[in-house]
Amino acid sequence: MSNLVLDSVTKIYNVKREPDVLAVDAVDMTVNDGEIVGLLGSSGCGKTSTLRMIAGFEEVTSGDIRAGGRVLNDLAPAARDIAMAFEGYALYPPLKIRDNIAFGLLRDRRPRAEVDAKVKEIAGLLDIEDILDRYPPTLSGGQQQRTSLARALVRSADVHLLDEPMSQLEPQLRAILRARIKDYLIQNKLTTIFVTHDQTEALALADRIAVMNDGKLMQYATGDDLKDRPANLYVASFIGEPPMNIFRTLSRSGGDGRRLEIQTPDGGSASALALDLPVGTVADNDLTDGRKLALGIRPHQIRFGSFTALGPVLSGKVTSNQWLGDQTHLGIETGSQLVIAVTDGTVDAPADSDIEITLPLDALHLFDGDSGEALHHGLNKRDAAA
Amino acid sequence: MQRETTRSRIVRGVLLALVGLFFLFPIFWVFLMSFQTNQDILRMPPSLFFTPTLDNYVALISGKLETNAGTLEIKFMGNLLNSFILASCSVALSIVLAIPAAYAFARYKFRLGEDIAFTILSFRFAPPLLVLVPLLSYFQMIGLVNTYIGLIWVYQLITLPLILWITRGYFEDISEDIEHAHRIDGHGWLKTFLKIAVPLALPGIAAAALLAFIFAWNNFVFALILASADKQPVTVGALAFVTASGIQYGQIAAALILSIIPTLIFAIAAQRYLVEGLSLGAVKG
Amino acid sequence: MTYLNLDHVTKRFKRETVLDGVSLDVERGETVAIFGPSGAGKTVLLRLIAGVLDPDEGDVRIDGRSVVHEQPEERGLGMAFQNFALYPHMTAFDNIASPLRALGKSETDVRQGVERVAGLLQIDHVLTHLPKALSNGQKQRTSLARSLVRGPKLLLLDDPLRNVDAKLRYEMRIELPRLLKQTDATVLYVTQDYKEAMALGDRIAVLDENRFAQIDTPATIYRHPATTKVARLLGDPTINLKPTRLGVDGNGASVELFGQTFPLEVEPVDAVDCLVGIRPEHIKVSMTETENGQPAELDAVTPLNVRSVLLLKTPDGGEFLASCSEAEAARFPRGHRQVWLTIAPEHLLAFDAESGERLGQRSAGGPAP
Repeated sequence: MSNLVLDSVTKIYNVKREPDVLAVDAVDMTVNDGEIVGLLGSSGCGKTSTLRMIAGFEEVTSGDIRAGGRVLNDLAPAARDIAMAFEGYALYPPLKIRDNIAFGLLRDRRPRAEVDAKVKEIAGLLDIEDILDRYPPTLSGGQQQRTSLARALVRSADVHLLDEPMSQLEPQLRAILRARIKDYLIQNKLTTIFVTHDQTEALALADRIAVMNDGKLMQYATGDDLKDRPANLYVASFIGEPPMNIFRTLSRSGGDGRRLEIQTPDGGSASALALDLPVGTVADNDLTDGRKLALGIRPHQIRFGSFTALGPVLSGKVTSNQWLGDQTHLGIETGSQLVIAVTDGTVDAPADSDIEITLPLDALHLFDGDSGEALHHGLNKRDAAA
Repeated sequence: MQRETTRSRIVRGVLLALVGLFFLFPIFWVFLMSFQTNQDILRMPPSLFFTPTLDNYVALISGKLETNAGTLEIKFMGNLLNSFILASCSVALSIVLAIPAAYAFARYKFRLGEDIAFTILSFRFAPPLLVLVPLLSYFQMIGLVNTYIGLIWVYQLITLPLILWITRGYFEDISEDIEHAHRIDGHGWLKTFLKIAVPLALPGIAAAALLAFIFAWNNFVFALILASADKQPVTVGALAFVTASGIQYGQIAAALILSIIPTLIFAIAAQRYLVEGLSLGAVKG
Repeated sequence: MTYLNLDHVTKRFKRETVLDGVSLDVERGETVAIFGPSGAGKTVLLRLIAGVLDPDEGDVRIDGRSVVHEQPEERGLGMAFQNFALYPHMTAFDNIASPLRALGKSETDVRQGVERVAGLLQIDHVLTHLPKALSNGQKQRTSLARSLVRGPKLLLLDDPLRNVDAKLRYEMRIELPRLLKQTDATVLYVTQDYKEAMALGDRIAVLDENRFAQIDTPATIYRHPATTKVARLLGDPTINLKPTRLGVDGNGASVELFGQTFPLEVEPVDAVDCLVGIRPEHIKVSMTETENGQPAELDAVTPLNVRSVLLLKTPDGGEFLASCSEAEAARFPRGHRQVWLTIAPEHLLAFDAESGERLGQRSAGGPAP
């Protein structure tokens, strides 16, 4: 099949005696053939409504859903050639796991030998070979969810829709199953749209992620872009575990450049981080005197130690130093703000010790303090270092 | 979310109206009867059109029943008061006894606990008449026949199991952690029972008390055998309308309407608690 | 000095043994994370210490005194619950005030105490609200405030971050150590999340199948897990475990893995079937052929927080997970490609194939001395 296009798709729920609910607000997005797309957001953000409109379970209030130029809006779910894994699994209780998985293939009248081979392959992929002859009610939630995934992935439909596909998986299996599923989707060129509230899952699987909030599409981009080029403060403070550190700042003119001063929560200015930006590093009108801005930096781009050539240096006190095996998370109190820094190795900085950290200019992001829109990703380090 | 078509709305409305009519028609008919004379009531075919009269209510309230055979003294208002005393005292006593018991059954596993709880429930299975005859002779021996205390005691057979079993369910629904938290805060078990368990089960207690009140109010056979005229509740008192000169349908209907009123008032007053009781789950945790 | 001592505590429900003779010593002021999969008995253990359940066997001592015969209200400890266990009919203020009122404090003292701890947890502005009007995060802080308000010497935290969203959970994980330090309390922290256990525990007690599988510092447990079960419970992505045979010769022990022989730093034991474990971050993946590099196929790259997970297949059909930094992962495009992987032998762990216990360790888990 060809591209799936959502063109200004809107969903409004009318509930009697209650105000209308705008669940999905003019969402535009394109899913390319063979692409894996994640719809990410917290509950009530409109991601599930969007998925259900694509599936055909919900009517589109306005806008179009098109596949290969054909409008799908009024097509019944069965006529859309979709495979779906439901959040509640929706397995057929009287059928063995094997038959649950094979159900769609048999309905398509595929030869028995081919069906058996495919069931065997997908069962191996999802580690459910040993339960193929059991019945759904006897299985744990994780096993049922893997069966539900197997049933959706074993077919080759135009679009595969997965609703919270991995929320119940056993923690020890998550990493490997994510990797295997991603490999399987890519190798079989399955166009996939999945809904999740878990950004780890979205970032692990998806080629592109649609971050939704309050019915609106906040950003639709690759995982790397969401992390390195967040379109707004919402995405910046949502994506990443831990997410970006955000400093509220005010722009002040001074010297031969502009000065950013960190604001305390009550609105006053604190001098913990004063950043001089020479003229020309960022557009001048972005730094008009007194403009409210926000400065962001991802935790693992913070450098430990003082490297004045790279960017501003902060000193602070370590509030917690948490080694997690393959990474270390530090809480550092600088002035009135807690900064979180992450590194792959270990850091010799016990709680309550003093520490210096450098915020490299090329890792700093600048946002408008009021609208939250991103202004710059990476403040030119070459000029600033001079 | 399914959109409702106009047609399905209409069909649903008609069906609901039919069900409502089926259940409410007898009450409506009795309500009409209470404003009719016996002649109107007995007319064939029955008619919805008649000249309303308040005579039935006047007779009940004044206690003087005019019949063809002369004036009869009836104690309807006294009966109403008896009903009220019996039902409310029975429920009050049951609450005092059943709530700690229900809590114990809900929270503590003790030997024979389930058996005792079931035995109490089984009082509800026994046919009252089976118990009543021996009970009558015991009561005569110890002088409890025709006393409020004796009747309230027997009424416990109705109200106690009901309140115990309903509130037990509510206590079981309260997260144990909430009570544990209160104990760990440093409060003794009695305080935890009174300040945490009882307030949280209050909707259930209110619902149980209302149901028990209605059952006690409607009881007939205990009072018929164990009470004479001055302690009779309305259920038994209504027998007085079956007179030598015929059955006074109008007064019976009026008596019914009057005797529904207290329970109706309680039900409306307790409605808020009943609804809250159903949504207790939302408060938990 | 030992403040809390669990001495061979056993608890059964009907026929089922939930805790099987568990022992644990917690030092004064120490934070011990009780970590294990669901159903391991963690919550029951806390309730035995709190006194809302009684042990069938064994003793619980707080500061040297046996408390098994004391009622919960006599034990003077603080506890926060996974489901918050707030009193739904009382305001946040009255919830937090409850332990102070139990002590019979004057209303002035109560107000001061509540306001102090509410300030610490930043919930001053919601004190007049009923629990149902609080967000999950505020409920969780109210519940923590209630457990802290009396300044208890022993604090039991039963998976307090379980029911808050990911972001808040992360923030609290960073914030809690400082808060706990301010209280000076001895803390038992129950969690199902190994990251929380490693971040918050001075030591971790791994509870598995009704006993402690290992009690030690996070670093020791992570680097030298006592059993395969413990090794698999800590770490995301999960440790790679491959069946092989441990050989012993004059030079010491070694294992064979995809045709290469790796020396092992374990005390010589007899040759046994074993599982060799290698953590994903200790497998180095290179796009060019390296010395001693094992050729493999890179099948998928899945980002995981600030790192990336690599799914590798060796020619013998073996499957390995490796992990690398986000920057390194940027080199690997979508789809299959040929890579070479290298393993540093010092990071290899060997476990007995049958018992699952790590080979060559001097003492196999059990209670700390």
